[in-house]
Amino acid sequence: MSTRDYSLAELLTVCVARELEDGGQGFIGLGTGGRAFIMAVGVPSVAAELARRYRGIDFITQYGCTFEPDLKKTPSNFADPYLLAWPSKAQVRVEECLEYFRRGRMTVGFTSGAQIDARGNLNTVCIGPHEKPKVRLVGPIAQSDHCTYAKYTYVLMTQDRRTFVPKLDFRSALGHGDAPGDRKRLGVAGGGPRKVFTDLAIWEFDDDGFMRVESLHPAVTMEAVTASVGFPVRFAEQLVETPAPNPEELRLIRNEIDPDGLFLEARIA
Amino acid sequence: MTQPTKVRSLAEAVRLISDGDVVAFGGHTARRHPMAAVREIVRQGKRRLHVAGWNNGIDMDLLIGGGCVATVETSYIGIGSLGLARNYRRAAEAGAIRIIEHSETTAMDRFRAASMGLPLLPTKTGLGTDLPRYNPHLKPFTDPFTGETWLAVEAIRPDVAIIHAHTADEKGNVQLDPQRWHDNSPDAMIARSAKTVIVTVEQIVSEDAVMARPIDTILPRSDVTCVAEAPYGAHPCCCDARYDYDMEHLRRYYEATATVEGFADWLAEFVTGLEDHLAYLDKIGARSLMGISMKRTVRP
Repeated sequence: MSTRDYSLAELLTVCVARELEDGGQGFIGLGTGGRAFIMAVGVPSVAAELARRYRGIDFITQYGCTFEPDLKKTPSNFADPYLLAWPSKAQVRVEECLEYFRRGRMTVGFTSGAQIDARGNLNTVCIGPHEKPKVRLVGPIAQSDHCTYAKYTYVLMTQDRRTFVPKLDFRSALGHGDAPGDRKRLGVAGGGPRKVFTDLAIWEFDDDGFMRVESLHPAVTMEAVTASVGFPVRFAEQLVETPAPNPEELRLIRNEIDPDGLFLEARIA
Repeated sequence: MTQPTKVRSLAEAVRLISDGDVVAFGGHTARRHPMAAVREIVRQGKRRLHVAGWNNGIDMDLLIGGGCVATVETSYIGIGSLGLARNYRRAAEAGAIRIIEHSETTAMDRFRAASMGLPLLPTKTGLGTDLPRYNPHLKPFTDPFTGETWLAVEAIRPDVAIIHAHTADEKGNVQLDPQRWHDNSPDAMIARSAKTVIVTVEQIVSEDAVMARPIDTILPRSDVTCVAEAPYGAHPCCCDARYDYDMEHLRRYYEATATVEGFADWLAEFVTGLEDHLAYLDKIGARSLMGISMKRTVRP
């Protein structure tokens, strides 16, 4: 990867931007900092704007209560007084903003977790037994809602043997359940995880709801992916290299959408 | 008949809480939690509380560290971008508290159902997950119209709810500023779910001030048991456009909570060693408070 002239965040941004659909609506949470911020907020934000500009699609982004803020006037601090002053199309009540999920209006939810299993189920609650965990995490937050109701979810997380596990210690958000057809059987409206974007690869889900590698990032080997995952890895028959950003995509990201690195370098306080 | 005044001191208001009560808290992540009341609860040494909210942070972490809590019910406890809530972590990892797990919507629906006068609300959230196993208030039922399986979220009836708002008149009509953050809109549902409702406010204002903008009243006095004036009462959390987070203080708290001893020292310095909320504000100091104060209306 030494000869690359783009960052991992830029690569993932371009990949997400190519996936977003015209007329869609995406939900981006605002609760994180550091690397988690880049994956949870930075990449989806810039990807949506890139999709608008480069592909010409219409795509609504919702930052919690705030609809379609002006990215050119993104505050350098996400504390409330600044968020309140961020020019945007709407600020709705928080219970209403989550009702877009329940009504089935949310095309895509961007999610993550401390653990994910081969069927895309997620854990943000605890490592170890719930009664006396080794590590207590923050809790389910709104991820259970995203994963239940969104038309589909994109999972963005770092891939290693601690995070990609054969069995979750706690299932806080439903992916493709335990067996094919589980979501339909449960009467859950949304389609579940569609793609998983990591630092090594992009994963899709086969018809059985099992995760498989769709593309490897440049210079990443199949062996490296297998070694970094705690469950047997399936690879797509037409395994490809993750397509690199083209010069125009990079120009838009760097010069126009995120010139100060607020999103992709997590420079927002 | 004259209307009674509902103004009480913070200490009087908090004395309405009994050991073992279910106590619900307003606010969200590090936003407008009723922190002055939280500190007074610790000062008064309340015990075995069942604390409930929909998205929490330093409020619950402080109560847990202060030894006030037996049961926690919410969707999230963390210290924002600083990291995990360390008193909460320690208590959970020691098996010392019971945790009832919620997603954001099911935690809200507990209050929403009660505030609507309903016994339950239906949800699909939680189906196919471990949440119902760790939450006795989520139970499957059959939709009589379609035959589909849903989860019922049981209404919660807290003994006491505490929220922090911008203003109220002496009769207990509670208002938020027109410029406010909609992440705290469930505060009204939380208040309306409870048997006793304590509202701390930045300022007590005149009835004329309230009547000049009735659309900003979030709780008319019939919803409110008492109001207590607590300027900077959400500190170190932010309070919409009035004041920002006190990041310096939050960081100091976060670092102090790395160890039991560090937190004990912090607690003595900022809570139990101080007589009341005004002594706390003196301790934080005018410079720090002015440093986080914002213009009431921030327009580009």
